[in-house]
Amino acid sequence: MNVSQEEAQASLSAVRDVMDQTHRAIASAYANPLLILWGALWIIAFTTAHFYLAYAFYIFMAMAVIGGAGTAVIFRVFRTKAPIQETYSPKLGWRIAVFWILLYVYVVIWLFLLTPFNGLQCNAVLSTAAMFGYVVMGFWFGSTFMIVLGLAMTGVTLVGFYLLASYYCLWMAIMGGGTLLGTGLYIRARWR
Amino acid sequence: MAQLDNIIHQTVRLQIMSSLVSLDQNEQVNFTYLRKLLKLTDGNLGAHLSKLEQAGYVKIDKAFVARKPQTFISATGKGRDAFAGHVEALKEIIHSGKG
Repeated sequence: MNVSQEEAQASLSAVRDVMDQTHRAIASAYANPLLILWGALWIIAFTTAHFYLAYAFYIFMAMAVIGGAGTAVIFRVFRTKAPIQETYSPKLGWRIAVFWILLYVYVVIWLFLLTPFNGLQCNAVLSTAAMFGYVVMGFWFGSTFMIVLGLAMTGVTLVGFYLLASYYCLWMAIMGGGTLLGTGLYIRARWR
Repeated sequence: MAQLDNIIHQTVRLQIMSSLVSLDQNEQVNFTYLRKLLKLTDGNLGAHLSKLEQAGYVKIDKAFVARKPQTFISATGKGRDAFAGHVEALKEIIHSGKG
């Protein structure tokens, strides 16, 4: 087969275009509803916590319950409607759920071991633990997007904790929730 | 030296394989979605998929999802290796400057 340099270049360019298109389609299908859900919840919960700090624990518990239920609904809907399906065993779904439960059980144990801690420390630990989970999921499924998002959000949390303690909740609402929501809306609008 | 693959080199099949190898090994794509993504007709996509399936490069599964029949396609290990070799050969052509 004779292929000129120009033809080879054009073929490689076509390969890159289709691969990018497919990666975007995958992210659009899976990531945007979850990002929009969690971004909106972060904005509501952190903003409310800033003004009603005494109720922060209940606010974040409510966020976790609503977010967990919403995530389960999204996964259930995507199991039947997603254009790209996983062929792996349903057991993996349980392993993912167990990973997240264990992660938070261990985080709560560590928090109690480190008592006394204040609300700010507690929140920063829980937020960074969630982001650690994103990074692990990213490595598990080979998703650079999740790894980068998890690391970036960890950075946002640490900046808020160390440099803007008085406005930590507002910072997390705008930078954390805003980043999640903004990324979700951007993917929805541009990557379809 | 890597070899160009006659089956994959055809434009539409190259697009199909590029899309399929972008998925994880445990993922498969819906036929209708792939058709829309690559802007192809049912017949055109079906014909090229048959060629790729005959070569053992893709796996085609039919399944009922929410009581509706759906066709899912994934790249096989052999298909991924052939695609990687083809891309490598294209790169070698570009770098060597040979036609």
